[in-house]
Amino acid sequence: MKKAMVFALVLVCCVSVFAQAQAESGSKTITMWVSGAGAQVDAMKAAVEAFEAQSGYTVEFSAPGETYEELMKTKMAANDLPDVFDTHGWSVDRYGEYLMPVNDLDFFANVSRQIIPTISNDKGEALVLPFDMDLTGIVYNEDVLAEAGVDVDSIKTWADFEAACEKVKAIGKTPITLGASNGFTVGWLYDRIAPSFYITDEANSKAADLKNGIFDEAIWASISAMIDRWVSNGYFNADVVTGDFVGDITAMATNQAAFDFIQNVAIMMAGGINADAHLGMMPIPSNSASDEPTLISGENVALGIWKETKAKKGAIELLNYLAQPEVAATIAAATGNVPALTNVKLDLGAVQKYIDKHAAVEAYNYFDRDYCPSGLWDVICAAGQEVLAQKPNAVQNTAKQVKDSFDALYGN
Amino acid sequence: MKKRIDTINLFYVPALVLFALFVIYPFFKGVYLSFTNWNGYSRSFKMIGLKNYVNLFKDKNVHRAFANTLVYGVGSTVIQNALGVLLAVFLNKKFRGRSLVRTVIYLPVMIAPLIMGYVMYFFFNYNRGAINDVLKLFGAAPVDWLASGNRAVFILTLVNSLQFVGISMVIYLAGLQNIPSMYYEAAEIDGIGVKQRFFYITLPLLMPAITSSVTLNLIGGLKLFDVISALTGGGPGYDTHSLSTLIHKYYFGGERAGYASAIGLVFFVFIMFVSNIVVKALQRRQVEL
Amino acid sequence: MRDIPLKRRGVFVSSLLRIPVVLVILAVFLSPFWILATISFKPVSDVSSYWKFPSSPTFANFATAISKAGIFGAIGRTAIITVSVVVLEVVVSSFAAYPLARKCSRFNRVVQAFILGVMMVPPLSILVSLYSVIVDMHGVNSYWAVILVLLTYQLPQGIFLYTNFIRSIPRALDEAATIDGCGPAKTFFHIILPQLTPVTASVVILSSVNCWNDFQFSRYILQAARMNTVTLSISQFFSQTYIDLNTAAACAMLAIVPVVVCFLSLQKYFIQGMIDSSVK
Repeated sequence: MKKAMVFALVLVCCVSVFAQAQAESGSKTITMWVSGAGAQVDAMKAAVEAFEAQSGYTVEFSAPGETYEELMKTKMAANDLPDVFDTHGWSVDRYGEYLMPVNDLDFFANVSRQIIPTISNDKGEALVLPFDMDLTGIVYNEDVLAEAGVDVDSIKTWADFEAACEKVKAIGKTPITLGASNGFTVGWLYDRIAPSFYITDEANSKAADLKNGIFDEAIWASISAMIDRWVSNGYFNADVVTGDFVGDITAMATNQAAFDFIQNVAIMMAGGINADAHLGMMPIPSNSASDEPTLISGENVALGIWKETKAKKGAIELLNYLAQPEVAATIAAATGNVPALTNVKLDLGAVQKYIDKHAAVEAYNYFDRDYCPSGLWDVICAAGQEVLAQKPNAVQNTAKQVKDSFDALYGN
Repeated sequence: MKKRIDTINLFYVPALVLFALFVIYPFFKGVYLSFTNWNGYSRSFKMIGLKNYVNLFKDKNVHRAFANTLVYGVGSTVIQNALGVLLAVFLNKKFRGRSLVRTVIYLPVMIAPLIMGYVMYFFFNYNRGAINDVLKLFGAAPVDWLASGNRAVFILTLVNSLQFVGISMVIYLAGLQNIPSMYYEAAEIDGIGVKQRFFYITLPLLMPAITSSVTLNLIGGLKLFDVISALTGGGPGYDTHSLSTLIHKYYFGGERAGYASAIGLVFFVFIMFVSNIVVKALQRRQVEL
Repeated sequence: MRDIPLKRRGVFVSSLLRIPVVLVILAVFLSPFWILATISFKPVSDVSSYWKFPSSPTFANFATAISKAGIFGAIGRTAIITVSVVVLEVVVSSFAAYPLARKCSRFNRVVQAFILGVMMVPPLSILVSLYSVIVDMHGVNSYWAVILVLLTYQLPQGIFLYTNFIRSIPRALDEAATIDGCGPAKTFFHIILPQLTPVTASVVILSSVNCWNDFQFSRYILQAARMNTVTLSISQFFSQTYIDLNTAAACAMLAIVPVVVCFLSLQKYFIQGMIDSSVK
């Protein structure tokens, strides 16, 4: 047995030597994680590099892309978070427990009043530095709609929307492009339709019920029934079940499709594929004629500081640096969204026109973030895939699935 | 206790220390979590007894993933071994270019399954997929290959089998070369046909090779993960999930870590059970040379 | 190598049949590599068939892949990890296999069953707890943590192969050594170890491929970009929101090339080594 103990001892020693070496190197280093990929990460990275050059801090920058959320969940579970990280719309519900309040920091005075409620917990503590606010509806292709003879401003209800789809179909183009294989694209579809069925019609609003944990399964089934009808009528692309997000943007950019239930950033991405594409953004139709079209809003890129960070001073300096108007502008610009800091003036180029045009339209926070328990998103996406694949009884079965999961997660 | 003789057992102590640290301890923590409603990241959660275990037997997605896992495991094992034996017999004959063919068959084994999954997307894609391109060449209508869950499960099984058939092939080549050629010579003198030679000499003597090939394939197939997450992500809906990918989905996306741990535990017991039965059954058929 | 004597009329016919079979095999197993190559040499704007190799191939995708993914650094890091794991695995698993093959006490049978059981644990179900252990040991973003974890999960396979092999070495040799006064350690190093070369080849081949391609453990342990392995840096490019599949393909090509070159130059030892060690 002696040898075994000696071996175990040696192992422990090795481990602790390594551990020591790790801890000591951490003092002047800030770890920072951001979600997403492409332009917005590039912009953030450039800003961080400028900060490093100026401040003498080393920022260990990571953008793990697709696996961001899952890695962050693992890290929260182990209480081992990056010093600064992106909350991508979940500052309060998911990350709130681990974030340091930022009300006392310099930049806070410039945070737009509109977004403060979304990023504050019930004690009134704001938790992140927001860079932009999503303000989005449905992205459309102007040229395709013109060719089909559709006046986009006359689309007020889902019935109008379906009539427009018929006209697009008649000219041989795809009315709605959707690549469901990504899952999140399906979530975006439901996130855009659900408020018009549950919330926005004030006379029949279920907002309070949802917040109290009461989920109306029949309404969900009627949303799915509408989508199911769209599939049957041939409004979607032929590979709706297996297509992907990249295919959607390509179809919009190359004038193959009319509508895409996607964020404004798609307008900018499409410009990269075809500079002559004319894409616009329209409000989401209402379900009843008595209701009005609406938009979706919410926090997007936002950075928070880990409550237990060992680099608090550096992290605060970093956030204050990034919140400077000219720096924050580059980050907001890359998202194609409205800046969330009042001192940032930004022309969003192709997107600006539509933001201004719909300034008076009422906006609601993302349905799944505001009215559903965290974790339901995945269920919504998978359930929607089944509806789009038109599996037998999918409309009823998935409504039940979503309700069951809502109840299970709400209890947590 | 006969202490002196047991010093030989000290040789496996380093391995056991590693297992204790990185397998046993996390494993029992997982057992504990399976009795909670933990969401996978929060500080607060509570014990909910056996509720997770009761729920998983009622969960249609778990049933589906369970069935798929069996298809992935058994399907891959059957395809890989049948094809592996055929290829080995074929490539055991001498001809020019034989080693090239062996190399090419083994080549995909070198590729990470995750990357293989991504590459396969270029094949099964609807709009520009390589397979639909070939179909169009013959004037056939393109097929949305992965849109049907059952077909996608089959495709995934096939992709996994073809990627790793090289391992089975090599194991069988080794097995074939261990069969003394005098058996065949004797059989030939006795005028025994090719078919009978295969079933009465080759197959029984390949039994040890079959045991190890089947065991490795079965465990690999039952734990299939990377290629599914790269090619279908478990969709459409929950149609192509294996238990591994479903656990992952529930754990992270669905924020039901306690529940996912319970499924993981039942899954572990299931793999142990199935592979033990298969290995025992195969070992009984082995003949000594 | 001895071949089965073929003295039938069908010899000529079967060698004619062989050509189409060989061609089908080559087509099936090489097509993934071909498709990957054509895509990686095309610009995003080229939407011709994946089968068609571009008339004027571009290297821009490779340039982007090299500068953005830091693929060469990743290859170096992956090599360090793979070599360390394989060396440690050979030592630790041959050690562990020795008593298991030689002393079939009831306790050792339990230990062996347990080791096989480890092979069957779905790593996902214990992943988060495993990650907590690594955080407590300050192992995130370190070589030693990823090496130890990969080693642990490769060990069962190594022990399995070594145990079977050692059993086939005549026991009389050990017994003779024991009579000559050798302890178990001396017996192992002088009698057993020198005979393990063929099976070691199999262990090295199987494990090095697994380590090189690992994704499920390294994605959690090696989180910082400066620690990216090959699979990790490629997977970023295939991220769902990333629009440039051509660069992703170029990146995958770059990652595959070293492995393929390594394999082709060693293939003689590779496949033959596997065959000679007669994996049991």
